[in-house]
Amino acid sequence: MELYVGGSNQGKYEYAKKIHDEKNIWNDFHLFVKSKIMDGLSVEEIEFEIEEKIISNPALVIISNELGCGVVPFDKDDRMYREITGRLLCRIAEKAESVYRITCGIAQRIK
Amino acid sequence: MIFLVYGGSGSGKSAYAENLVMKLNSKNKYYLATMKVYGKEGNERVIRHKKLRAGKGFVTIEKETLDLLDAIKYEIPKINSTVLIECVSNLTANEMFKDNRILKPEEVIKKICDDFDRLKNTAENFVVVSNNIFEDGIDYGKNTENYIKALGAINIHLAEIADKVTEVVCGIPLELK
Repeated sequence: MELYVGGSNQGKYEYAKKIHDEKNIWNDFHLFVKSKIMDGLSVEEIEFEIEEKIISNPALVIISNELGCGVVPFDKDDRMYREITGRLLCRIAEKAESVYRITCGIAQRIK
Repeated sequence: MIFLVYGGSGSGKSAYAENLVMKLNSKNKYYLATMKVYGKEGNERVIRHKKLRAGKGFVTIEKETLDLLDAIKYEIPKINSTVLIECVSNLTANEMFKDNRILKPEEVIKKICDDFDRLKNTAENFVVVSNNIFEDGIDYGKNTENYIKALGAINIHLAEIADKVTEVVCGIPLELK
């Protein structure tokens, strides 16, 4: 499993597509987290679903926006979304064989 | 050579870019100012940046509603010249929100990327400064999201045509390319 992170509109998906089979790419991971929070799932439940996806496909490539470099959101749900996504990405990064950060379409291997 | 200098607000990217221009040591140094100056805060920012450049021998090309290609009219020598363009985020905003109407992101991306492609061979060196506004995860609504999308695509294009890409974090340069 690999992880690609970076700001919005940095060409993460385009970059990953050049290297990986599209069927292994899980794009917009942050939006998955958002929808699960809105469905009322707990962090543990979301993590369980992620775990299942990783186990069923070891070649999985997870792509997520960086959400954490800004002012604390005023709205509670926005704060939760940002915080939970960040924590989940940390755990995914621990398990990932490699982690890349994409900036202006350029990849830096950070793990 | 084209150098892209990228970083967040207050990261020291301007100071880094200006030092880079000094190191390149071209006889002819140009500064392309792109910011529309609004109010006291805008003025203070301009004064701070002018102080940074003072005594460094820059010719300032300053136009409020600057079209990038206006720079060509300055007849910049093709050798021994460096043009500092600061900042792409302003260029993009100027283009997108010009004359009381809003351009589509695709139009803005095409216009600015084409302008850079035409401009890039008119001087020996270009040092282009751009902004990281992509990492806070906040949804700013359609118009601003379109602006963010346009700047992202323009940055990717600039990184492609650049010989060197440097991200500045707390004044520390990180080589991306």
